[in-house]
Amino acid sequence: MDSLQYVPQSSTAEIEFPVGLRVLVVDDDVTCLKIMEQMLRRCMYRVTTCSQATVALDLLREKRGCFDVVLSDVHMPDMDGFKLLELVGLEMDLPVIMMSADGRTNLVMRGIRHGACDYLIKPVREEELKNIWQHVVRKKKNENKEYEHSGSLDDNDRHKRGSDDAEYASSVNEGAEGLLKIPKKRRDAKEEDDGEQENDDPAAAKKPRVVWSVELHQQFVSAVNQLGIDKAVPKRILELMNVPGLTRENVASHLQKFRLYLKRLSGVAQQQVGIPNSCCGPLEQTGNHSSLGGFDIQALAASGHIPPQTLAALHAELLGRPTGTLVSPGMDQRLLQASFKGPAGISIDHGVAYGQPLIRCPSNISKQVPQSIIAPENVNTALSGWSPNGPGTVGPLTNLGGLGAQSGNILMGMLQQQQKQTLQSEPSRSINVQPSCLVVPSQPSASFQAGKNPASMNQNCSFSRSSAINYSLVSPQSNNISFGAGQVSDGNLKTPSVLNGYSGPGSISPSMSSCSINADNIPHRQLQNSTLASTAAGQLPGFARNVSDTQGSYGFNSGQVLDQGPLRNLGFVGKGNSIPSRFAVDEAESPMGILDYEKFQGGSNGNKVKQEPSMDFVENGKVCIPIIQKFSPNDLMSVFSE
Amino acid sequence: MDVVQLKKQLGDYTRSLFNEGFLDDQFNQLQQLQDESNPEFVAEVVSLFFQDSQRLVNELAKDLEQQSVDFKKVDAHVHQLKGSSSSIGAQRVQKACISFRNYCDEQNIEGCLKCLQQLKNEYSLVKNKLETLFKLEQQLLEAGG
Repeated sequence: MDSLQYVPQSSTAEIEFPVGLRVLVVDDDVTCLKIMEQMLRRCMYRVTTCSQATVALDLLREKRGCFDVVLSDVHMPDMDGFKLLELVGLEMDLPVIMMSADGRTNLVMRGIRHGACDYLIKPVREEELKNIWQHVVRKKKNENKEYEHSGSLDDNDRHKRGSDDAEYASSVNEGAEGLLKIPKKRRDAKEEDDGEQENDDPAAAKKPRVVWSVELHQQFVSAVNQLGIDKAVPKRILELMNVPGLTRENVASHLQKFRLYLKRLSGVAQQQVGIPNSCCGPLEQTGNHSSLGGFDIQALAASGHIPPQTLAALHAELLGRPTGTLVSPGMDQRLLQASFKGPAGISIDHGVAYGQPLIRCPSNISKQVPQSIIAPENVNTALSGWSPNGPGTVGPLTNLGGLGAQSGNILMGMLQQQQKQTLQSEPSRSINVQPSCLVVPSQPSASFQAGKNPASMNQNCSFSRSSAINYSLVSPQSNNISFGAGQVSDGNLKTPSVLNGYSGPGSISPSMSSCSINADNIPHRQLQNSTLASTAAGQLPGFARNVSDTQGSYGFNSGQVLDQGPLRNLGFVGKGNSIPSRFAVDEAESPMGILDYEKFQGGSNGNKVKQEPSMDFVENGKVCIPIIQKFSPNDLMSVFSE
Repeated sequence: MDVVQLKKQLGDYTRSLFNEGFLDDQFNQLQQLQDESNPEFVAEVVSLFFQDSQRLVNELAKDLEQQSVDFKKVDAHVHQLKGSSSSIGAQRVQKACISFRNYCDEQNIEGCLKCLQQLKNEYSLVKNKLETLFKLEQQLLEAGG
């Protein structure tokens, strides 16, 4: 209704809300679409309609921050509504309301599990639409809460905001979600309506959370590469990135996470280099796959850091089949999944092996790890299942180059891959759940963009070759901090499947933990956590040792994560467990380790993935490193001792 | 006919459509949605519905003629038809869709074909009825009502 006066977003006063709420409606039924449009207009919302899910997704991507809420039909010919739901949640962190003429309980349940804010049964009545703004407000509130609870704020801030928190309904304990948020205290939920993804006005009192999308992260990574990881300071990175609305603080915290990730990767890389060829066997077969994006697994294997048997076993475990078999991307997922759940077998030894690399000093890694450590393709395939987007992504990762500054890239890539993979590993979900940052939309193109799938990278690495590699990859995921190996430490690792997790960052961790568990390394976990903290401080080796009993911090304590499936294992060394509901429950949780970097935007509880366990850890010293400790004492410890 | 008579005629006709189950309350909702900013809303939506439904019915006929019928596809079409008919309040069409879906679940081709025929009938009926309704409304408007 153009005749109506819309209050421009920027000047929206509280009293105007929800007038002007920007709604995107997606439905292949044009009749319904028209009716919805009319109803929404009468509610004084700004409506955009779309009859194709793919078009809607593009629109959302192109115009980030231009929509407040999405209404989507469940049954659509070009894309499943649930898939769209997850993608939107991951990438844009917008509330999504599902609609369908089919109101069966199981379908509604699916919607909720995939993260829908609400589920409307058609024919939808105008009254129902009048209230959809509540979902927008609620989400922002929750995000704020998460933000506050995230480790990014120091405790003082938290306390100060305590009063604010009280205002918010404590709907969820989002605390664990350490997202890359701008430390802005939002006192008024209403004002958050305007909180766009993009920071139009960094100096504004309310700063929306920055979504470290894949693209943004890539820009970040390339800026870091340009500067050199040692010289990469937030100010310069910010300048290079030249992203409007991005603040130095955003970059700084992201960089911090990235550094941790790199450390973890480098630790792993070291190990990986040492991986004997035998371990790499499978990897090699992968041929292109195994290229790990440049990661010379062979080299890693050769360095002998990781006992061949371990690697092989690890691979086997991960792949769910005898070593030497390459996991095809499609299989990967399955394997990964299987591995996660299945072979309890990932012996601890294996775990250890992985863990070791992680701990290694980063410097070593740089030498050993060739640039594209993880070839996206490899990762995808290797990691089994992580390759959400398909092998294509390797590209960006390759940029990562050598460990040095590059390792960061690789790590990021790995993290992302892992993340992606983690998310994607959920076979049941057709959606490529991807954290806003890490996850890449199901389109293959996205996949390995720098950092896209760290997980995937890891995974490939692990699968294809050296499990060690996975670790590095994994670690990023697990909490960024812990290299996979260490990360397992958290309880989540317990599941043998965890090892399988190597595929993604999380995988390592989980596996590690599982290893550890078997090996009774559990006690290490905690150590590892603290280690990570120290790692964050910049020293890898310390990880496992210093870790205090941070277990809790990882969020593993949440208990679930690892068990849940590949995702769990990934990266959730710490908090990871809080996988957002979006991700089909299980998956989302683990990968989050990398989230720190990626920061899913999905503030929703469901998206725990977003939480940056690692971030929190880092800040709280929780550090996910624990995993390393977990690995069988002999191997792991040796790693650490280095 | 004068305005009063036209109005009565329109009212009676509309009521009969409801009584006979051609339309349900959703149609009222549609009418309430129509306002000055969108005076032709109901007519537009209804015509959209007819276009879309025609397409769906044709698709259904084609799908059921196949050597090996893809029931999932058939079901998807019927589901959509059900959704849109319920959105405008075409109750009988919607009901036909529901029984159609049951036959789909059973993978009963005979049943499906029968339902398709019924669907076509209902669809034609409601189309005619609504067209008449619009004509009456138009007449009333022109007469000054």
